[in-house]
Amino acid sequence: MENMTLLDFARGPGLQWALWIFCLGVLWRIVGAMYLLGTKDLSKFRRNHYIRDGLRACLTRSTPAEAFEDKIRFQHISGYAWHIALFVSVLFFAPHILFFESIFGFSWPHLPNTIILFSGAVATALLIALLIRRVVHPVQRLISTIDDYISIVVVLLPLITGLAAFAHIGGRYETMLALHLLAVELMLIWYPFSKLMHAFMTFPSRYQSGTFFGHRGVKA
Amino acid sequence: MRKDQNLGEYLRSQGVSRRGFLKFCSATASLMALPPSAVAQVAEALAAARRPSVIWLSFQECTGCTESLTRSHSPTVESLIFDAISLDYHHTLQAAAGHGAEAAREAAQEENKGEYILVVDGSIPVDNPAYSTIAGISNLDMLKHSAKDCFAIVAVGTCAAYGGLPGAEPNPTGAVAVSDIITDKPIINVSGCPPIPVVITGVLAHFLTFGTIPELDALGRPTAFFGQNIHDRCYRRPFYERGEFAETFDDEGARKGWCLYKLGCKGPITYNACATVKWNQGMGFPIQAGHGCIACSEPRFWDKGGFYDALSTGDWGSREALLGAAAVGAALGAGSAIRARARKRKAMAEEEA
Amino acid sequence: MSSLDTIPVTTEVATGNVAPLLHEIRHALKRLTGGEEGTSIDLKSLPLAPGEEERIEATLGTGEVRAEVDALGPTLIQETSYPGVWLITHKNVDDAVVARFIEVTFIPELLRSQPEDIDAGIDRLENELGS
Repeated sequence: MENMTLLDFARGPGLQWALWIFCLGVLWRIVGAMYLLGTKDLSKFRRNHYIRDGLRACLTRSTPAEAFEDKIRFQHISGYAWHIALFVSVLFFAPHILFFESIFGFSWPHLPNTIILFSGAVATALLIALLIRRVVHPVQRLISTIDDYISIVVVLLPLITGLAAFAHIGGRYETMLALHLLAVELMLIWYPFSKLMHAFMTFPSRYQSGTFFGHRGVKA
Repeated sequence: MRKDQNLGEYLRSQGVSRRGFLKFCSATASLMALPPSAVAQVAEALAAARRPSVIWLSFQECTGCTESLTRSHSPTVESLIFDAISLDYHHTLQAAAGHGAEAAREAAQEENKGEYILVVDGSIPVDNPAYSTIAGISNLDMLKHSAKDCFAIVAVGTCAAYGGLPGAEPNPTGAVAVSDIITDKPIINVSGCPPIPVVITGVLAHFLTFGTIPELDALGRPTAFFGQNIHDRCYRRPFYERGEFAETFDDEGARKGWCLYKLGCKGPITYNACATVKWNQGMGFPIQAGHGCIACSEPRFWDKGGFYDALSTGDWGSREALLGAAAVGAALGAGSAIRARARKRKAMAEEEA
Repeated sequence: MSSLDTIPVTTEVATGNVAPLLHEIRHALKRLTGGEEGTSIDLKSLPLAPGEEERIEATLGTGEVRAEVDALGPTLIQETSYPGVWLITHKNVDDAVVARFIEVTFIPELLRSQPEDIDAGIDRLENELGS
């Protein structure tokens, strides 16, 4: 197609390639990880409560251990707040729901724009705060890899461009919408090959750890 | 209007009072989307304005633009503007036909060399010039010939401005816009399918009043009319903000006049004056009538996905393709896991040995 | 009654542009009494919902002066219930509205006799007296 605009590209080929790479990469990682479950545990068998132990680990790992509670309270609360704010903005903005509906074939109720704008702003501010903390905090900086920084930036970009498109900041709406879509596409491509995969991996791996601990009689 | 008269003298000779003239200027300023404070300036310029010659060429078009123009909603003001310009060639509207008409065009071009305004509606086929000809002259040749000595070109309608419907995929005639052919003259794109009639006359009024090229946006459209997008100026915007959408064309939301975003309205990416200037004597515009904007003043609007698909739904391909990608991913995952296990077995075997 | 009237369509929506417009008029009035120039607002330049123009008109109400100028079709000049605020409706010879303005001024320019027209009148009067 000649004379394709940035928006046409972002809504067409860009989106298609990003989704293909996302689906391919995510399945690659998940299936690859599932094969690891077949690894034989050579330890002596101690306890037979696989499901209970697995689910328990999912819960206990969702809150910090008591000993660390005071030290990481900000991180703990802001981490939860950020995820909730992100989910509200992504999942309950009417135009987003229409996008998901076009792919999945079903929809759900949306929230008014003022709430979306608020949650989007909160999510953006919190992620920036968490990024700064990661850079400033000596321990966090030590355990951070390039993956952490790129992943945060790649998630920040859709948030910032989305808010800008919404508020008509930085350029004409169609330009900002195209940039927002391109930012989302960048995130989708980066997603399977980075720590962003935690969205799929967190709970299965906690469950797996729980059953593993149970098998070995670890009290955790 | 005689050639040596200016517009002020002409109107006076027609028995129009100064009050009538001021009224004409107020309406013209409003027509040009100028603030009312500019009326005095408009009056001064119009009084001294000379009659410009206009040559109107129609190429691959449906005559909708001319239909629109002849239904402009303020006949007195419009007819005064049309009296004030000299429409020397318009093959739909003129009485003359055949070689006589073409001779009149040639004569007008010769007489007003460097000064006439060329109005074009319709796109130009370049695959085979024979797809559209007038008096045996191909559109391409006529455009080049007429553009050579013009002062400026007004591309009326999305076809002339951006290729429009004839240029839609797969573009069987190789239709192109005026700006794809003529690059050495100022071109003003008055896009729309059709453009709002008063916007066409507003641009002519600008020439008449100021004799200059109006300020244009990145797509060559006068910012006075195309400076703001429909969504921003839409009276239904508050419903969008509150998240109140019509889900179908006949549900409760549609009856209450809620936002048409979910029904495919392209207002947010469309720049035009519909939401304020409106159509049919200011009676309304498509969104007011209950139908979403189809972005008719934007380039390639025919090929931007379905008119009834919401703007946020992209062309993401097919579910089959996504499942295919997922299957390839799963196979790759399985493959790499099998390889990893084989490596491990080999390492263990070596250790034991 | 046409059957169209039975379709239950609501057109009573609000853009929120009415209140700012009334504020603008209030500020323009203060500027006028403060010795500054008058203000003119083109009603066509505002995105108004169906019925909102009528609501503005109803809010402004009608005042003491009402005049009609007959030049290139009728022009209705109505002082609103707020002195100094005029509603000017230009119509063409077919009685269709061409443009609408709200003018904040002591007297709309169109009501004054124009020097050019006075000159033409003097000519005619002198002709009359000369004959």
